[in-house]
Amino acid sequence: MKPTGILFFPAFDWSLGETHPEREERLLYTQEQLLEEGILDLPNIRQYSPGLAPLAEVLRTQGIFPSPHAHELDAHLIAAGSALVLGEAWAKGEIRNGFALVRPPGHHAGATVLGNRGFCTLNNEGILVNFLRAHYGVKKIAIIDTDVHHGNGTQDIFYHDPNVLFISLHQDGRTLYPGSGFPHEKGGPNAWGQTLNIPLPPGTGDEGFQYILETWILPKIQEFSPDLIINSAGQDNHFTDPLASMNVTAQGYAKITDMLKPDLAVLEGGYSIEGALPYVNLAILLALAGEDFSNVRETEQLRRPHIPLKTLKSYGFELTYEYKHTQPQWTVRNELHLPAGEWVFIPHSIYYDTDGFQEIRHDRVRRCQNCGGTVYIETQRSLEKKKYALVRIPFQACPECAQAGYDLWDYLIGRYQAVLLQDQLTNRTEFWHIDQGVTTY
Amino acid sequence: MAGRVGIDVGGTFTDAVLMQGNQIEDKAKVPTEHLDLLQTIINAIDALRVSGKHPVEQITVSTTLVTNAILQGKLPAVELLLLPGTGMRLESFSWPVSYHTLYGSIDYRGREITPPDQLEWQRLLQKLQKQKNLSHLAIVGKFSHRNKSHEEQLAHYLQRFMPTLKIALGHQWGQSNFYRRSLTTYLNLASHDIFAQFAADLQQAVAARGCHAPIFVLKADGGILPLAKLRPVESIYSGPTASVLGALAQSSTSQSFVVIDIGGTTTDLGLVLSGEPLVSSHGATIGTYSTLVRSLAVRSVPVGGDSVILTDGSNFALANYRLGPAYCLGGPAPTPTDAMCYLKLANYGDYNRAEEVLASLLQPDKRSTFNIRELASSILEAFVERIVREIHKLQQEWQNEPAYKVWGVLHPHESLNFHLWISGGGAQGIASVLGERLHSPVRVGKYPEVSNAIGAAMARPTFSCTLHLDTVLKRYRVEETGEQGPWQGSKRPHQEVDGFLTEIVQREAGEKGIDIVDLHKEPFDFFPIVQGLQTVGQIVRGAFHVPPGVIGRVKE
Repeated sequence: MKPTGILFFPAFDWSLGETHPEREERLLYTQEQLLEEGILDLPNIRQYSPGLAPLAEVLRTQGIFPSPHAHELDAHLIAAGSALVLGEAWAKGEIRNGFALVRPPGHHAGATVLGNRGFCTLNNEGILVNFLRAHYGVKKIAIIDTDVHHGNGTQDIFYHDPNVLFISLHQDGRTLYPGSGFPHEKGGPNAWGQTLNIPLPPGTGDEGFQYILETWILPKIQEFSPDLIINSAGQDNHFTDPLASMNVTAQGYAKITDMLKPDLAVLEGGYSIEGALPYVNLAILLALAGEDFSNVRETEQLRRPHIPLKTLKSYGFELTYEYKHTQPQWTVRNELHLPAGEWVFIPHSIYYDTDGFQEIRHDRVRRCQNCGGTVYIETQRSLEKKKYALVRIPFQACPECAQAGYDLWDYLIGRYQAVLLQDQLTNRTEFWHIDQGVTTY
Repeated sequence: MAGRVGIDVGGTFTDAVLMQGNQIEDKAKVPTEHLDLLQTIINAIDALRVSGKHPVEQITVSTTLVTNAILQGKLPAVELLLLPGTGMRLESFSWPVSYHTLYGSIDYRGREITPPDQLEWQRLLQKLQKQKNLSHLAIVGKFSHRNKSHEEQLAHYLQRFMPTLKIALGHQWGQSNFYRRSLTTYLNLASHDIFAQFAADLQQAVAARGCHAPIFVLKADGGILPLAKLRPVESIYSGPTASVLGALAQSSTSQSFVVIDIGGTTTDLGLVLSGEPLVSSHGATIGTYSTLVRSLAVRSVPVGGDSVILTDGSNFALANYRLGPAYCLGGPAPTPTDAMCYLKLANYGDYNRAEEVLASLLQPDKRSTFNIRELASSILEAFVERIVREIHKLQQEWQNEPAYKVWGVLHPHESLNFHLWISGGGAQGIASVLGERLHSPVRVGKYPEVSNAIGAAMARPTFSCTLHLDTVLKRYRVEETGEQGPWQGSKRPHQEVDGFLTEIVQREAGEKGIDIVDLHKEPFDFFPIVQGLQTVGQIVRGAFHVPPGVIGRVKE
């Protein structure tokens, strides 16, 4: 049988601040645990070395404004690049599955990036997914985000994509950052039902997660029948996590992994550096490798209030009801400068907690029966006049949408500070900046 | 001026040189007697013209004693007690030896999680006391390299009732990896007696010849240590190591090259990067044992100049054994050496015999000169292909070393221009074919047949001290020696750790009888430890080491 790939990149020389949760120490004890267990000596585990993501791969998925060079990206490029190394190994058939145990994380970073939020700048899974589609022809992808925080960045990137099923289960956004991720967020007009959010009440534990997986998530994945399953493997549902209030154990995480059977898992959050990470990372890796994980136990005992399974079941029932009965409500605004077609207008705003500002977004998507539809996003920092734009022609775009994308690109150049063209159909990424002109990636 | 003797025990021959400074005074080659290694070494020393005029100041031996004992399963049994705690199941690994598990666990920072079970120890003692032929016992705990207390308590308990028992503790191999630590501790204890016997006999035999020079042993990591200071298992893989050092001693500084030592049955490969031999990032693996023994990144390919060529009438293959010398040198079977001889790539051997044996590999109606030449070429190509495949793997291992820091990924290895360094009996014959295949310049030293012995004679001691300091729990550990102790310095040390590690280095070097030259200091890593948004201390990691190298360059 093919081995399980592991790419361990702890970024021992990178932090967001000395006492920040995202600091050098974060994966130190995980390294101690993995090395001491000798897990890299197992014949069914193969270690890979980190890589650097090319900017072209990043920009195919995310618009970085005012320009990529205005941000400190090194560590993020390595985390994303490492996911690509493992993804390539999977696509080439070298490994059965793989775990990118890397920092910094990425699932809060969205389609547009004006700074760092939720410790994320680049979306490792998003970049990975589009890399595999562009270079290896992978068609249908399911991303299951088991981090305790809503994977709002990943949702944002694939919200209009009918070929990506995004499922996030997380602690209820009314009680935790980033405050989003409700059942009514079901996807854009061309991808309705391709986003599934399952907010869980604080105190949910192993059996609660397993129940939701069995009764809801696994059937949904099966129905979608993806070519590739990616797990955003955040570990902050653990009962010792200092930033959240859930009750999952290392055993619970291993069982979640065992049930999901992801092809690729990418570490996201998880800030119980001593109490959880060494054990949860070990358990996930063993589960991926098909090894016995039953002897992995954290040293601390469960102590948080627990939600009984019965309560959770009735809560789950309400969520399912809400999800099923949510009907789409779109505002169609056919502005004069937009190419022909019906353009759905979705304004929203996003808070950047690390840097402390608000992003104002005006998203427009061309309604389309035949493809994901061309997307046009306008973004700016609140209280600032400078605006940036992104035009995305999706994978498998129909000729009308592709033409609409190029018409927009021609029209928008000169009207913003910077415009990014993501032509995923023909694999072309161009970036225009008011000072630098057009750069082809 | 005093001389240095270097001896390399090979699979077929044992080579010896006598060096005066950087000059070769004498060289010798004697057959290896596998059943009597000691006699082989003595024969090699006797074959050198060591005279009273030039007293010998040092004898360095690269010996296969422990390697052979392990590979031939000739080591005595050791009772292995493991304290595996929680985590991965022991059964996930394949264990070449049996073990007994006990309670008690320690975590990754060396904190006790569960104490040992005294009742279990009592039952264990009763069982051990009934066991016949029990003389050696190894105790290894998971994370004992962070906290040795469980190992020491158990040893202390058993020793009280069984005072003659020889006990080895795992924490003395202080690198991470419980599985490898267990097997390394086991092997080192198991080879202790045969090595001690060998050391005593060798010392005595040398002394009987009126020579009182200290005897050193070549280690897997390319360094040398006095016989008495060596941990026996560290002497494995000294053959390939000697090849790399031999090449180093015959090249100018700061060059990068692939070392290819072509022996009778194996070809050893190594890598030198800008004048420094590449050290493997994993411990050495020997037979079915994975160890923590630090070693050079070397590879042994089971083909050599005397490998037998097999044929089924139309195709041929290289066997991984030898039946004797090449046919052209009076041996019984066709070998790559016969192909070299026939193609006039080697200046030894009987051309007619080479032709005869190569022709015998072809169908009677196809034995034209043209076909024999073709066959000889393709034999050498196949031979070279086997070697090239492993060279690429070795270079891949170097390229793919994991990086754990942003800096490391942004500053990858620069690509180096490698040349090929070829030594060993078959060096001459294969050099041109290898060079063409790899499009690289080839160098053959002036003394290819005693290159390994030169490596042994010219090797210098290596040294390494890796510090792991936890200023919150106030404990420090040294990986290489397993030393553990209390830390009394500050919570956030800076310059302090440099002085602290320097002191340890000096003490250790003095204890091992090593003069430290060329000490490299790796920058320390400081990990702030945060509890409740407060920085409460640090984990500090850093290492000082003397990389493998040679004391001088051979004058040609």
